[in-house]
Amino acid sequence: MSHTFSYHFRYDDNAFETETSVKQIDVEDSIGRIYAKFVDPRTAADGGVIDDSRHRLMRSKHEQFVRDALHGLSSGFAVLDASQPWLSFWSLNSLDIMNCEIDLPLRQRAFDTVKRFQDSDGGYCGGYKQLPHMAGTYASIMALVLVGGDEAFQTIDREAMYRWLMTMKQPDGSFAMHTDGEVDVRGVYCAMVIASLLNIMTPELIAGSAEFVAQCQTCEGGIGPFPGVEAHGGYTLCGLAALEILGKTELLNLGRLARWMCARQLAFEGGFNGRTNKLVDGCYSYWVGGAFPILQKALERSPSDDYLYERVALQRYVLACCQEGRMGGLRDKPGKSADLYHTMYGLLGLSLSQHYMGVDPEAQIRDTTSIYSVPARMMQWDSVPVMSNVLGAQSNMLKPVHPVYGVSLVPLAKCVKYFYSLPSLAASLS
Amino acid sequence: MRIDGCSDIEDPAPLAQQAAWQDVEPIAQDDGPSPICPIAYTDEYREMMGYLRAVMAAGEESARALALSGRVIQANPGHYTAWVYRKRLVEALASDIGAELDWVSALSAKHPKNYQLWHHREALVERLWPARAALALPEDQRLANPVLRRELQFVGSALDEDAKNFHAWSYRQWLVARYELWAQELAFVDTMISQDVRNNSAWNQRYFAVLRGRPATTQLDAALARAEVAYAVEHIQFAPNNDSPWAYVVGLLLRHAPAALHEELLPRIRALAADPGFAPAMSSTPFYWSALVDIHEQQARALPPAERAPLLDEARAICDRLATQVDITHNRYWRFRKTAVGAA
Repeated sequence: MSHTFSYHFRYDDNAFETETSVKQIDVEDSIGRIYAKFVDPRTAADGGVIDDSRHRLMRSKHEQFVRDALHGLSSGFAVLDASQPWLSFWSLNSLDIMNCEIDLPLRQRAFDTVKRFQDSDGGYCGGYKQLPHMAGTYASIMALVLVGGDEAFQTIDREAMYRWLMTMKQPDGSFAMHTDGEVDVRGVYCAMVIASLLNIMTPELIAGSAEFVAQCQTCEGGIGPFPGVEAHGGYTLCGLAALEILGKTELLNLGRLARWMCARQLAFEGGFNGRTNKLVDGCYSYWVGGAFPILQKALERSPSDDYLYERVALQRYVLACCQEGRMGGLRDKPGKSADLYHTMYGLLGLSLSQHYMGVDPEAQIRDTTSIYSVPARMMQWDSVPVMSNVLGAQSNMLKPVHPVYGVSLVPLAKCVKYFYSLPSLAASLS
Repeated sequence: MRIDGCSDIEDPAPLAQQAAWQDVEPIAQDDGPSPICPIAYTDEYREMMGYLRAVMAAGEESARALALSGRVIQANPGHYTAWVYRKRLVEALASDIGAELDWVSALSAKHPKNYQLWHHREALVERLWPARAALALPEDQRLANPVLRRELQFVGSALDEDAKNFHAWSYRQWLVARYELWAQELAFVDTMISQDVRNNSAWNQRYFAVLRGRPATTQLDAALARAEVAYAVEHIQFAPNNDSPWAYVVGLLLRHAPAALHEELLPRIRALAADPGFAPAMSSTPFYWSALVDIHEQQARALPPAERAPLLDEARAICDRLATQVDITHNRYWRFRKTAVGAA
């Protein structure tokens, strides 16, 4: 059954207005005006059916937006001065997913930029001579994955990284984001991604982490940053992906999680919100939409059953409402400006909706007790071509990406191959 | 020693021209010959950062370093390294924490959604009145303490600005849990819910306040479960098509009082659905039917296996109704939910 454009799906406020419902209806009005432009006029009498064949990903506009950013950012970006690895990752990954060329000179420049964020005592910093930070480290490593090549990988100090990760580790299994920094589920995700890619997982590093994530699941079913705090899309992806790396998704109440995740897809807009009763935002196309492949595997559903959410509706939202037509780039919602963060996450969400990413249940590695099973399990993820669903022109199709790591499969596989040809840290520590 | 971190009192001239900074050699930012995504810093920002790096590298602990950290933070509140340095300076200089809290409060007005600011606040409050000392007093005396009163008021006013500010709610949970201010929290939650019954953060906080930090395996006593059901249903009446009270009460009972799902919640929502004033709204909202699925499934669990079929069949029939009529957009979910009925 297709999700057709219809005022039947407008939010019903039961004639009782609160700030939440007023804002929701305002957003729906602005989305509705956009969708109305795509309606096939012959179906207008019925509320209208959207002609989805008209959606076009404005690839060259977005490419220009990203290349302009790579070239330089205005002084206002000083507010992201402690997030410089993210700027590199958001731009390189956006180009890669769109199949735009990252030529050798750009790779060299990117490598030279990111390698300078590394702290001699381990981890990567938000900028020159800042403190190492979990998110900065995650973004730096992912940027280096996209740069690729032994020369780049060789510069990563694995031993120092491990020591630094262990200083971030808390007794309850969680990780702080930096020295004297906040502790939340993002830390677990970053640590698990970093450790699994660099082949520095040890029992000590992962001890208690899966259990900590499970404690962050709320009564609603989603995952929050810390036990007790409200369920939120970003932390849900972080928690679920971390558990997938650890092979412990069964620690969650998956039924309740599925309910919450599906409820995040808004009936009229088609996009996702990040929390109950909040507004749609293009970035949740990844944080929530991108979690569905992982949920699918955890529930042991067959590819032919498809994901639990409406892929067409999500792609429609991203393509019709999140593209900035004049300046390029993708945005949160109409009326907001495009930025690199929303560009990358919008594209990631679009990719993970176009491609069906899964693990063949017949071949699935079940042994999750050994940390050595991690790379093998992560490399089993692949696209299932027969379940592809690209909305609009076929040229809208992006590169498939790995739902756990959020980057395309070829550079990811090369990184894993490099680091797992090295002796594991666990072996050298024992 | 009272330290003033307010930049508007300082000399606005470039640091390189200030006598007070003559002894410091700034450390220029080295991003390499051709960095990607280079930021076109203003001269002022570039210079501030050069001097900050220099004093941090030297391990300097001084009033001028504190003031400089403040200027950097005001220009870039996300500069976590500057915040960590500032925290150490405040400790080393034995700064007046009240004044520091004033400074942080002024900053929050402009930057409500910043992690570091709230995290810094936690450290200041803990220093000002360590929890260990606070917990030696009974709760009403703790609440009377000016430090905690100020904090509760501060986070309350942040929530007045943005009732769903994620960082503010998170900070409030830290404050309430650390200082065990449980007794007053439900009243605050009730106020927030009455301001907007759709404020999901407030409903999440209700769960937090009812559980009082007890483990997920806690069983709530029957009286408390009944009271929470009554509260949820009372608020469902304002707007039945509001996920928050439904997700709250079903989630709470599934975890902590499963029998109350059919003993308390079921009769109340059935009564509401039968009431002509509420019937249209109740029958058209997915949340009512979704709750029935969860309730019937739980009811069935309490019966011997041979007797479960009618309830499970009813739950499956409701899933069909949701998939085809009441919640068509989420039909994939409802078809899945149907297959999961009775499986656990």
